[in-house]
Amino acid sequence: MLKDPYNIIITGVGGQGNVMAARIVGNMLALQGFYVTIGETFGASQRGGSVMSHLRVSKKTVWSPQMPKGKADLIVALEPIESLRVLAQYGNSETAVISNTRPVYPVGVICGDLKYPTMDELNASLLQLCSKIYFIDATEKAIQLGNPILSNVIMIGAAAGLNVVPMEESDFEKIMSVSLPPEKMKINMEGFKLGKSMTSS
Amino acid sequence: MSILDYKDGSVNLLMGNEAIARGAVEAGVRVAAGYPGTPSSEIIENLAAVAGKAGLYVEWSVNEKVSLEVAAAGSFAGLRSMCVMKQNGVNVASDFLLHLGLSGTRAGMVLVPCDDPGAISSVNEGESRHFARLLELPLIEPGNFQEAIDMIKWAFELSEKIRNVVVVRSVTRLSHASGNVKVGTLPKNNDTPVFKYDGNLLDALNGPVITAPVPFKHRQQQEKLKAVAEIFETSEFNTYTGPENPELLIITSSACSLYSLEAVNVLELDKRVGVLKLGTTYPLPEKLVKKHVASAKKILFVEEVQPFLEDLTKIAAAAWEDVGVKKYHGKYDASIPTVNELNPDIVIAALTKILGIDYRPVPEDYEKKGTILSFTGAPNREVTFCPGCPHRASFWSIHNVLTLQGKGGFVCGDIGCYTIGILGAGFNTLKTTHSMGSGLGIASGFGKLRGLGMKQDAVAVCGDSTFFHSIIPALVNAVHVKSDMMLIVFDNKGTAMTGFQPHPGTETDAMGAKVNALNIESICRAIGADVHVSDPFDITGTQDKLFDLIENGKGPRVLIMQQSCALSPEKKGKNKYVMNVDESLCRGENCGCDRFCTKIFRCPGLVWNRDKSVSMIDSVICTGCGVCKNICPAGAIKSEEVKAC
Amino acid sequence: MTFGPKELQADVQQKNMCIGCGACVSICPYFKTYKGKTAAMFQCSRESGRCYAYCPKTGVNLDRISEKLYNKKYSSDALGNLKAIYTSEKSDKASKGNFQNGGTVSALMEFALKNKTIDSAILTKRNGAVSIPEIVTDHEKVHAYASSKYGLSPVVSKFNEGAESGYKKIGVVGTPCSIIAMANIRSNPTDIPDFVDKSGIVIGLFCTWALDTSKFEDALKDKIDLTLLQKVDIPPPPADVMTFTTSHNEITLPLSEMRKGIPLGCTYCHDMTGEFADISVGALELKGEKNKNIIIVRTERGEQLVNDAVKSGYIKTAPLPAEALSGLSTASMNKKKRAFTRLVDEKMINNLTERPMIVVDDQSLKNIMNEKGGM
Repeated sequence: MLKDPYNIIITGVGGQGNVMAARIVGNMLALQGFYVTIGETFGASQRGGSVMSHLRVSKKTVWSPQMPKGKADLIVALEPIESLRVLAQYGNSETAVISNTRPVYPVGVICGDLKYPTMDELNASLLQLCSKIYFIDATEKAIQLGNPILSNVIMIGAAAGLNVVPMEESDFEKIMSVSLPPEKMKINMEGFKLGKSMTSS
Repeated sequence: MSILDYKDGSVNLLMGNEAIARGAVEAGVRVAAGYPGTPSSEIIENLAAVAGKAGLYVEWSVNEKVSLEVAAAGSFAGLRSMCVMKQNGVNVASDFLLHLGLSGTRAGMVLVPCDDPGAISSVNEGESRHFARLLELPLIEPGNFQEAIDMIKWAFELSEKIRNVVVVRSVTRLSHASGNVKVGTLPKNNDTPVFKYDGNLLDALNGPVITAPVPFKHRQQQEKLKAVAEIFETSEFNTYTGPENPELLIITSSACSLYSLEAVNVLELDKRVGVLKLGTTYPLPEKLVKKHVASAKKILFVEEVQPFLEDLTKIAAAAWEDVGVKKYHGKYDASIPTVNELNPDIVIAALTKILGIDYRPVPEDYEKKGTILSFTGAPNREVTFCPGCPHRASFWSIHNVLTLQGKGGFVCGDIGCYTIGILGAGFNTLKTTHSMGSGLGIASGFGKLRGLGMKQDAVAVCGDSTFFHSIIPALVNAVHVKSDMMLIVFDNKGTAMTGFQPHPGTETDAMGAKVNALNIESICRAIGADVHVSDPFDITGTQDKLFDLIENGKGPRVLIMQQSCALSPEKKGKNKYVMNVDESLCRGENCGCDRFCTKIFRCPGLVWNRDKSVSMIDSVICTGCGVCKNICPAGAIKSEEVKAC
Repeated sequence: MTFGPKELQADVQQKNMCIGCGACVSICPYFKTYKGKTAAMFQCSRESGRCYAYCPKTGVNLDRISEKLYNKKYSSDALGNLKAIYTSEKSDKASKGNFQNGGTVSALMEFALKNKTIDSAILTKRNGAVSIPEIVTDHEKVHAYASSKYGLSPVVSKFNEGAESGYKKIGVVGTPCSIIAMANIRSNPTDIPDFVDKSGIVIGLFCTWALDTSKFEDALKDKIDLTLLQKVDIPPPPADVMTFTTSHNEITLPLSEMRKGIPLGCTYCHDMTGEFADISVGALELKGEKNKNIIIVRTERGEQLVNDAVKSGYIKTAPLPAEALSGLSTASMNKKKRAFTRLVDEKMINNLTERPMIVVDDQSLKNIMNEKGGM
């Protein structure tokens, strides 16, 4: 691991499965013997709002469930613009960003009052704040796999593919098999591997 | 995976609330009751899930006061019991808690309030810590996830030692955060509950459980507290990290201790700053605190919302003649804000100011660039009702009827998802929100102002769970005094906001057993209100009823709007309609004054297509409720019924 | 200078000037009408709009609409622009109905629908104190809408709705405020390209004032069963009462009592005879004459319809006695003078910097103000 603690933020929009994604990653890293602290957003702020989970990964101790400003090492965005929002608050020029490309439009955009950036515009904004950016068509790929719900698994795979923290396929399998029936494991493993292949080349 | 499935002695990633629940089971808890409220709900949920296996009785009670009474019965009958609620729930339960503290308890009894500094999922940032002081009960606060499990176990022991309730206070950032926790062993526990009452009045274990004679009992309660203070002096949950004689001593507790340690680490102050993390916070372990205060020059209290540790320490310090003059920082010199939750950055800011350190997390221009780029490039997300939420349809009708009637009618509400009816999501219809059920009490008052010349119509709204929690007495009041107003019950079939916990109107209880489902309509009728029912998705029918009830009705009227929450298990993934927009009919930018559905109705499933200048359905987000079809003035939104397969 | 919903709300709704004609309703979803009242449902941010341009209580340029409809400036005559004036009543071919007076309006609309002069008619029915306009396409149903309602009717909202849903020759029957709104609409004040006037015939009803629906309701709800109300009438002076007839009984209330229900907007109205209609119709108030109308023919298409209706046996006309003409003219001129005096006093006419209610040539204004009354 490059740094201790290694700080990951998983961000998205309420209802996208942000909490679950953070738990899966956290559990995978706990299996590797790390202290993992996850701070989460719940409740009313979930209703269409921006949400994020802070993951603190350390060999030494428990860290605060809220990360200090400028300390994020990796941002995993289940929704594109949330990557920028979180990067601006918690990132630094060394932060790596993995972003899904499928937008969930804010109400202000739906009603036409606000403009949603194109992926090129978003990329240009992100590039002003960091240099390692991976755009992943996770939702589209998930739909191809048969269910948009798999997009989070693909994003987790993509994070594993960066190889910055030890997120092992076998640990993923172990964690997922606790809650998933066997018949659903195959497609989830496929999603994880697909995501991993998208960032590891 | 349930909280029973962790192997004895294994280390697992647990959510704070899971750790608390597991700790309770390890301590041999047999009765647990509570009322749902973020961030506390998962504790009871986790216990309910293992109730059968672990031999517990777990209940979602009608409200917090009743839940505390239910839990107390367990303790009185010799079973360890626990009661769980969010911060404002303690206010509801406090009347009984005052008396319970005075009467004392028998088997270990723990009250777990989960506070929400910053009101992340609340409409207040009330604090339960002050109740411990006010009602003279011991208070302990876990500072990390391991402590969440360990302190709960200890709390039961402490409670049995002093025969009184012990308050274990959590906060959002512990309850709703996760960390590594080493679990302990599960006990075998099958004591049969018996309530003993044959002893004399003063016999705490065998006599009647009463608060009288009050001076005797009160003195006894205070003596218990003194005993607790002695125990607290040597508690392992009070820890100190730092140099022997720090330049500055941080006194803190709960999640704030993690922020403090983080801040010291970020600023590399471990040689200059010490952190005294208190796990036992009321009564204050004065000797321990005095020892640490004496060792430092400056003291900084890091705690959320109102000063608690700061006040207790300063009061104690008035008698410390031998520690010399100290410089105190905290709430009173504005080093730490008195509103909102804290985080490491706030503690960093306090430390840099007090110690004169220059620190920037990122270069100044990076921060500036970030602020501008995220402001311009990441459009703000306004909180809104979910796609297919019945509240959007309900508020649409209420708003339209009150506006058309043109008499300045308004809506009084309370806590629930529908609270965001204050915002554009609910067409800014809600005009008051306070505690649960308060909308009706307020509307009942407004209704009586008719007699003093008030012309406006007052409408109260509440959820189905709230109806049972605290609407019933207000409705009784309104009917009794013949208040001229109307109550709308948004009956979405469950405590939706906190995760579909059962309530007295549902057919199963927390543990999944069949129970009596009380009928809201019958209750309202029995109370004597004029009761009507509608489906909020039937916009025309609902509006007709509202027009008639508000305009022609007299005295207390009730309209129950029945439609399940869009997220409810019965609805999820089952769309009633496939919606689409006929682009040839959509008036787009020329929809009269403007594009109406996306600009005003604002359902996340209905999106403005900038390229084509028409509205369109986002089929991934749309839940097919069909309501938007009713609001399109051009009839461009079409629905097709999904055939049941 | 054009204005929009914000100004409309400031000048009309907030000042209680709205007379509920519905001109701003059904052209967009933001304005809706309920029980004779028009409400802005949501705040609209447009800076200019048809809502303001069509409203009969905002910036009505009498000369401009006159020129559009009659190719001449606003007439300062008591009865406005006219081609002919007669007494009239329904004739044998027309259906029978619960007519207020001579049944002329019902007969004309029935005939116009039947001979396809119009493809639809906006007629007002009664539901207690509430006046409800409807789109009628079946000529056999016209007679069911007969009799004066006295409550404000959002006639123009139904015209807008009809125009939006594809009717091309809509017959409209309304009080003068609605007729002014119709004139505004027909003169295309917002310069819509390829504008088409979708009115087929516009009939104005003589009016001195109408009643606010809720006040109407309040005044009567404890006295009669409003659901059974069939006829409302003001017998000629000196009775000074208003009569309300239900299927069970008839009650009489003092006019002074009922006048309290007149909306503020009516007190600024100068038009008694519906001067911007194709045809205007009212009661003939003459001793010994009952159940007859006065009819004023103002335009060519109005003239055509009246002549055809006479020929086809739907109405019959006769010369108007001089006494009746002079009575009507005096009353009409008095209403004009009263309104214009008030508008001048309150700086609501021709004050172009302050968004006037009415704009008219200074000379015409002077003529009216100096008029002694009558013709």
